[in-house]
Amino acid sequence: MNHCRSWEHDWSRRRLLGAVAGGVGAAGLGGMLQPAVAEEMARSDKQILLIWLDGGMSQLESWDPKPNTPFGGPFRSIPTTLPGIHVSELMPKLSQQMKRLAVVRSMKTEDANHSSGVPKILRGQPRNRGVTYPYLGSAVAKLMGPTESGLPPYVWVKPGNGGFISKHAGFLGARYGALALGDGKPPANLVRPDSISSAADEARQELRRRFNRQFADRRRGDFNEANSHVYDVAETLMKHVELFDETKLPEKDRRRYGTHDLGRHALLARRLIEAGVRFVQVTSYGWDTHGDNFNSHASRMPKVDQSVTALIEDLYDRGLDERVLVVMMAEFGRTPRINGSVGRDHWPNAWSVAMAGCGIRPGTVVGETLPDGTDVKTTPYDIGHMFHTWFSAVGLDSAEAQYMNGTQPLPIAHDDMHKVDELLI
Amino acid sequence: MRQLLVLLVACLVVAAGSPNRAHTAEVSLHEVIDRLVESQAGKRSMAPPADDAEFVRRVMLDLAGRIPTVDEARRFLDDTSANKRNALIESLLAGDDYARRMQELFNAMLMERRGEHAEWTKFLRHAFAENLPWDRVARAMLSPDAADENLRGAAYFLTARLTKEGAMAPVDVPGLTRDVGRLMAGVDFGCAQCHDHISIEDYRQADFQGLHMIFENMQSRGGEFPAVTEKVMTKPRDFKSVFTGDPRTTPLRIPGAGEVAIQTFPKGEEYSVAPDRKTKTLGVLKFSPLRELANRLANAKNPLFARNIANRLWFVMMGRGLVEPLDLFHSANPPTHPELLDRLASEFAIHKFDIKWLLGQLARTRCYQRSSRLPGDGPLPPATSYAVANQKRLSAEQLFWSTLIATGEIDRVKKQTDATLEQVVADTDPLGELQKQFLKTFSNPPKEPEVDFAPTVKGALYLMHDQAVLDLLKARPGNLVARLATEPDPRKLSGALFLAVVSRRPTPEDVEVVTKLLENKTRTARAEAIGHLAWALLASTEFWVNH
Repeated sequence: MNHCRSWEHDWSRRRLLGAVAGGVGAAGLGGMLQPAVAEEMARSDKQILLIWLDGGMSQLESWDPKPNTPFGGPFRSIPTTLPGIHVSELMPKLSQQMKRLAVVRSMKTEDANHSSGVPKILRGQPRNRGVTYPYLGSAVAKLMGPTESGLPPYVWVKPGNGGFISKHAGFLGARYGALALGDGKPPANLVRPDSISSAADEARQELRRRFNRQFADRRRGDFNEANSHVYDVAETLMKHVELFDETKLPEKDRRRYGTHDLGRHALLARRLIEAGVRFVQVTSYGWDTHGDNFNSHASRMPKVDQSVTALIEDLYDRGLDERVLVVMMAEFGRTPRINGSVGRDHWPNAWSVAMAGCGIRPGTVVGETLPDGTDVKTTPYDIGHMFHTWFSAVGLDSAEAQYMNGTQPLPIAHDDMHKVDELLI
Repeated sequence: MRQLLVLLVACLVVAAGSPNRAHTAEVSLHEVIDRLVESQAGKRSMAPPADDAEFVRRVMLDLAGRIPTVDEARRFLDDTSANKRNALIESLLAGDDYARRMQELFNAMLMERRGEHAEWTKFLRHAFAENLPWDRVARAMLSPDAADENLRGAAYFLTARLTKEGAMAPVDVPGLTRDVGRLMAGVDFGCAQCHDHISIEDYRQADFQGLHMIFENMQSRGGEFPAVTEKVMTKPRDFKSVFTGDPRTTPLRIPGAGEVAIQTFPKGEEYSVAPDRKTKTLGVLKFSPLRELANRLANAKNPLFARNIANRLWFVMMGRGLVEPLDLFHSANPPTHPELLDRLASEFAIHKFDIKWLLGQLARTRCYQRSSRLPGDGPLPPATSYAVANQKRLSAEQLFWSTLIATGEIDRVKKQTDATLEQVVADTDPLGELQKQFLKTFSNPPKEPEVDFAPTVKGALYLMHDQAVLDLLKARPGNLVARLATEPDPRKLSGALFLAVVSRRPTPEDVEVVTKLLENKTRTARAEAIGHLAWALLASTEFWVNH
């Protein structure tokens, strides 16, 4: 049962979401001072979890198999819990989750390059207005802010290095960037060194707060608020330090998600969502299968199948499906034509995206591709349509809400596109 | 007729506001500033003048890039001479810290944390140590002279923006065009690259393209120092608006100076000094677009040039630009104080863009010297009124030097009494590393202008938990905490602590807090508690901003 009713959040009038909110004094103050709309969204309990398969997962080896066709490849398709709907045999577990999922098989986007395609998709490829749009995580961080938990609103779990990735924020400004947890490890300096006891830390923090109160008296408060805020967030993060201790996880969970990177990171993502992070992105790299596409997918897809299924099961078991939107996608799909290296190349012309949870109509398959998979047969959807749909799913009216870039109002999703009603409840 | 005369006299009297008005030129700029700011603020309640402690900290952070040492602060507070503020301003402008501070300030402003280059640093240091006029400095950046050893590093302004960032990212020449407009003329027409600006009528695609062609005609030349070469320019630039598709053409266009026709010469006669590969001579073009740009943009007659730098230096001192955003000058975004900006720009140009002079004038104003605190209980006036001093962000450099001074780390490691801050750090490895960490932690990411106060969680965690920071607050012979630990009287201890870290004397409430905290503590626990006090002051907003 899903209670997330996006239309209840419809707004009656156009309201501005200021990138530079509340006049000059507020500029640069960590997005704390936001106008009414942002305050409204800040009270929302909706969250988003994005699983990003970087390099481009093959739609033919996942959501849109074409067995026994010239481009179909060696894998069979299997039935799912949705009558008449088949997926690749590489997803036996997800095939049993189909009643909870919504899949769009008619994605048609423009850019076939990774370096430009990744940002374009993650920015929702809005109309070019000469500004750099934020990635989805930064957009949500700006539009909805942190949840009541006070945890940073945009956390990115990825292999490799972590840090604070400001460039995702585009024109919104560095502070809406991603807190990246490299290999799921905590941010630098999160753990209090042994030389400071918890009592000693509390004593010095209390002194700091006292000095700050004294300083702020009869002075403009914005600087002190911003400076105090980052310490509050730091302390909130510290309280969740157990999130980063994998040894405390039940063995059963680790087995269900898998001990590979994607499994560990998806499990961390679930825990970050439970702790109250507004937007979590999990990235899996290495999907650019120009060579040996089928063996690659044969080894990669079971990891997706395992960890995403565990995630969906957990969200439903815990009732989180009512407030957490899950999206799984890449920057494009892969060519139906199989190249000389038994690989598939980049294919933005016809590919698939999957989603579940908050606001999404479960058990939905939208669109169809040609029998050989080379193009979209039904109404094509661009990433802009998906942004409208996802914003709507979490209660943001993307046809009305706008960013302000200085004096320039900017739509939060492509203004020629719209939400896809079939996907929404 | 008589009426008109009376009116005229009345106008003069009103406008004067100062008995010296008879000789217009003798009215100092700082008086004009105060007259204009205060008349616009009207009957608003004004903050009283900053007290000596507020002032000495503020002006040293602005002109020396660091807080005062305990000795400097005490000397100033105890000085009873009436002219001590002006004397301090003069001595800071003439002092050793000035060139370092300006180098750090302009490096962050102009390079926006793109990186460092020894030749660039040398150029900036030279420019401010010699107090070169701003137009001269700007020309060195826009049309670099590889033959001038002191100034050639200025080319880094251009070359640092012409580097490839990753295999798939092309060199961002449009980004350079945009930055020249933003940083030298206060106009950000990056949005006018492909069409006229949508929301700002003054920003035309032709302006962008006419400037952009100069940088497309230029290349970064590899080598031990940054340098650029130009090709012979032969024809105007063709471009199209992505909206209308109409083909158009423009000659060179210089922000604030209009069009410049391209001069062409017969083949083989384009150079006054021919380039020579063998001797690695660059050659001198008879028509150099970069030279045209430098001479016409960085020019006292160019209104955008003078207004941009006047507005930026005002921002540095007053915490708010008369035009904001700093790089969005256009007719629909007027200055908050139009006449004031006119006067700042024109007087700065008349004074041959003497930066020291302008900073000195700004520092002398009542506007600069007001308190950031407003007594009473009414609402605080807006930042644009300057009725209360605006708080300002401290750069990573200001924070680093000030932290070393506040914690007494400099005193602890200093071997020669006359060594400068930079020498001490250069001679002490762990401090060099600490400096790197401070810059990394407290600077904005590359290409993000450091305009707004933008504290980060990363910064808070660093200050809370980094061992090198915590070590500064452990009692080690010679440092602040060690000195304080030997002081039995909590009142005296408070005095020394607050003066060292926040450059003021403690309030009775402060003394009470300290006294209570240190009561009945063992010697070890007492030293630790003093460390906590020092940490809390160091992490406080009072230390972290210039107020």
